[in-house]
Amino acid sequence: MNSWSLKGALQKAKDIIVGPIIAIALALLLAGILIYFSGYEPLAAYGALFKGSVGNINSLAVTGVRMTPLLLGGLAVAMSFSCGVSNIGIEGQLYLGAVGATIVGLMPLPVPQWLHLLLVLAAGFVFGALWATVPGYLYAYKGVNEVVLTLMLNYVAIYLVSYLTNTVYGPLGEKGASYSQSPELVSTARLPILLKGSSLHVGLLVGIVLAIALYIFMNHTSSGFRLRMVGFNPHAAEYAGIPMERTRMQIMLLSGGLAGIAGASEVAGLFHRLYANFSPGYGFDAIAVSLLAGNNPLAVILSSAFYGALRAGATRMQQVIGIEVSIVFIIQAFTILFVTAGTVLSHRPSVIKKLFRFSKKSPAEGRG
Amino acid sequence: MSDIILRMEGITKQFGSNVANNSVNFDVYKGEVHTLLGENGAGKSTLMKVLYGIHQPDEGKIYVDGAEVTINSPREAVNYGIGMVHQHFMLASNLTALENIVLGMPTSRPPFLELNEAKVELGKIAAEYDLHVDLTIPVWQLPVGAQQRVEILKVLFRKANILILDEPTAVLTPPEVEQLYKVIDQLKAQGKSVIFISHKLNEVKKVSDRITVLRHGQVTGTISSKEANPNNLAKMMVGRAISLARKQPAVTDASSDKVLEIKDVTCLGDKGVTALNNISLEVRRGEILGVAGVDGNGQRELAECIAGIRPVTEGSISINGQTVTGVVKDPRIMGYIPEDRRRTGLVLDFSIAENLVLKTISEPQYKKFGYFINWGTVYKHARQAIKEFDIRTSGPEAPARHLSGGNQQRVVLSRELEKKPAFILASQATRGLDVGAIENVQDLLREQRNQGAAILYISTELTEVMSISDRIIVMSKGEIMGEVTPDPSNLPQIGEMMMGLRTSEQEGRANNEQLES
Ligand SMILES: Nc1ncnc2c1ncn2[C@@H]1O[C@H](COP(=O)(O)OP(=O)(O)O)[C@@H](O)[C@H]1O
Ligand SMILES: [Mg+2]
Repeated sequence: MNSWSLKGALQKAKDIIVGPIIAIALALLLAGILIYFSGYEPLAAYGALFKGSVGNINSLAVTGVRMTPLLLGGLAVAMSFSCGVSNIGIEGQLYLGAVGATIVGLMPLPVPQWLHLLLVLAAGFVFGALWATVPGYLYAYKGVNEVVLTLMLNYVAIYLVSYLTNTVYGPLGEKGASYSQSPELVSTARLPILLKGSSLHVGLLVGIVLAIALYIFMNHTSSGFRLRMVGFNPHAAEYAGIPMERTRMQIMLLSGGLAGIAGASEVAGLFHRLYANFSPGYGFDAIAVSLLAGNNPLAVILSSAFYGALRAGATRMQQVIGIEVSIVFIIQAFTILFVTAGTVLSHRPSVIKKLFRFSKKSPAEGRG
Repeated sequence: MSDIILRMEGITKQFGSNVANNSVNFDVYKGEVHTLLGENGAGKSTLMKVLYGIHQPDEGKIYVDGAEVTINSPREAVNYGIGMVHQHFMLASNLTALENIVLGMPTSRPPFLELNEAKVELGKIAAEYDLHVDLTIPVWQLPVGAQQRVEILKVLFRKANILILDEPTAVLTPPEVEQLYKVIDQLKAQGKSVIFISHKLNEVKKVSDRITVLRHGQVTGTISSKEANPNNLAKMMVGRAISLARKQPAVTDASSDKVLEIKDVTCLGDKGVTALNNISLEVRRGEILGVAGVDGNGQRELAECIAGIRPVTEGSISINGQTVTGVVKDPRIMGYIPEDRRRTGLVLDFSIAENLVLKTISEPQYKKFGYFINWGTVYKHARQAIKEFDIRTSGPEAPARHLSGGNQQRVVLSRELEKKPAFILASQATRGLDVGAIENVQDLLREQRNQGAAILYISTELTEVMSISDRIIVMSKGEIMGEVTPDPSNLPQIGEMMMGLRTSEQEGRANNEQLES
């Protein structure tokens, strides 16, 4: 590597990471105050949170499990947001991806396990992308607002899965089961476990590999270059001869496909079957994940790990200290608030400078 | 007119390692128009932002009415009687002019604004300074000149004695400029001081009492307007004599190959009305065809049709015999210097290196292992271009956003001319550039012409079209009014064509119109 690129890469890494870390620190501080005023000990609470998420190998495994769908979903968001397309339909595409994975995963195919798993994930991708086709078409070719389109289809997808898994008339439903669910996937369609005795499955590795691949695709290939061009300045892209309609459609399909893999990984890795309402809103949390990561695929690994850890630790925090799990969502909301505020402020350096000057003058210690 | 009401002493302001102002001394008398002249990036806006409390100087002192002051914010500047009209207007576009003016002022019944009282007061100010504008419609519906008057009203409403006008003429048409000069005269007559910022050396003599020239952040001199002439100003501004006079003539003749051929083209504008009406023209190898005309007479649409961005409803456009059906992607066939480089010519968040390969990234020299970008060669290419085109930047990895206008345009030119295209479309290629940069752009285009390129040069600056073109056509209301040679004796005729009179029928038409009206 040339010296410019190493220096540039380090500088870039610094630019991406510093802001979110400050945001996280402020969020934890603020949430700590909330915890304090609810009558608990903030340090003890965070101690439990820490132990429950990264304290030992088992809690680390839980963190890994929680982080997997956030990572894959976060990549789907990063894919579209960094190309200037607001795909808010990750949740629905994730559900559809799960449907595709279930269909292929229920088939007893006479193929080796690795191939069956590949087909399962591919089916997840295809179904997720298919769910994004209609909004993608209307957005790219007809100029309809993609936010509304993709958002509305989320609810359609959730109800569609409830229907499909219905135990009486659902085509994928397990007859006679007490909850809306499909039968179990065949054994060759289940993602291997990474850590014996835990639920940590290969989906996490799939996510990490895809994050790296997406990063390389966006930053080191000419196709990715063109997609970034569309994201940063669609007018210039059009003048450079990039076919905007087709490109926007591609972005939507790729994003939907990644979301589909998120769903497929949950089905094939964690549940081994399709449940109605199996996602507690991963597709929406994924937006927070990607925003915290500045839509950078590599940073999405870190931010999904952080949110995954919050969720993993929250259970222990509730058991040991008695604090509601929902504090975790408050922390999540605060970080997004501060990250967004930071982005706004960084576009107005004078404001930051003023804050800075103020904090230098004031006798009180600076924060963060 | 002898009291100094403002003095800036030894002002230094650095951005990182970039010294935007270097020990600048500057003062203003009461009732004076003091012009700050300098190329883009010379540090004019920075000096004024220091004065207006937006930036804090690293060194230096500011005296208002003889007393030293520190100005920490625009609010404080306003208290010292300083008002600024920014280069880029800062109006809220869907509020009315009145609301914009009153916004941010103290009010006796918050949260409501005191609109009626303000309206009366503003009526008085408007009458006093000849600043007429409809205060009751949303600002976006006002023409640019009127928006500027709103900004000036806003400053006067805050009782400013020192008005900073940052490049006020950059966005105005010639008649609007005349109107602005009248307003400035009026301000002067009422004892206000005006700091007039400009990078156009031709306009400043007329309006100013004194002129201070900045170059690379330093004052190169302050002279009275009487002593000033374009030659000594240009020398102070760019450090050498410059001229926009005509240089080498074309190497073409009527037998050269046609490169661009436009036949009977009609197209619609943004609002769905006819923007181009039956236009035909051709540009041959080795010539520059200039397109003159008042802004908004179909020039932008013509450029967009040729660029393949805007559909043609009738007729055809061909380059090198190939009909244009979409964007011409081959940089060997067409180079396009668009009128709005920030919007369409560059990706501001991309680095200079990336911007230089926007259209050529797929070429084999930028590839490695078949599929991946070879950033090494991309950066090497950028370093060469930076050297060759003298792009002033910290390096190829700097975002295009951080470049000055002239340097941004050099990036565009470097990219578009690199492959020696057969046809070059230059659409308002010098808009917002200073003299030095304009000269630079024109020289590069001439060089391409001499090497055989066919060039269509669209500009609303008549002097530029006159200085660069081999032939000139004039557009009005989406039609071509006629063709002339760039001979100064043709200027009256061009003027009439710009007003919508055709060469062949000028006399008859003129008579008819007189009869009709
Ligand atoms: N906020 C800023 N941050 C960093 N550099 C700046 C900033 N504002 C201006 N500059 C730099 O300072 C120099 C002078 O800019 P400016 O005062 O805007 O010039 P002018 O108004 O004469 O065209 C330029 O090199 C510009 O890039
Ligand atoms: Mg300026």
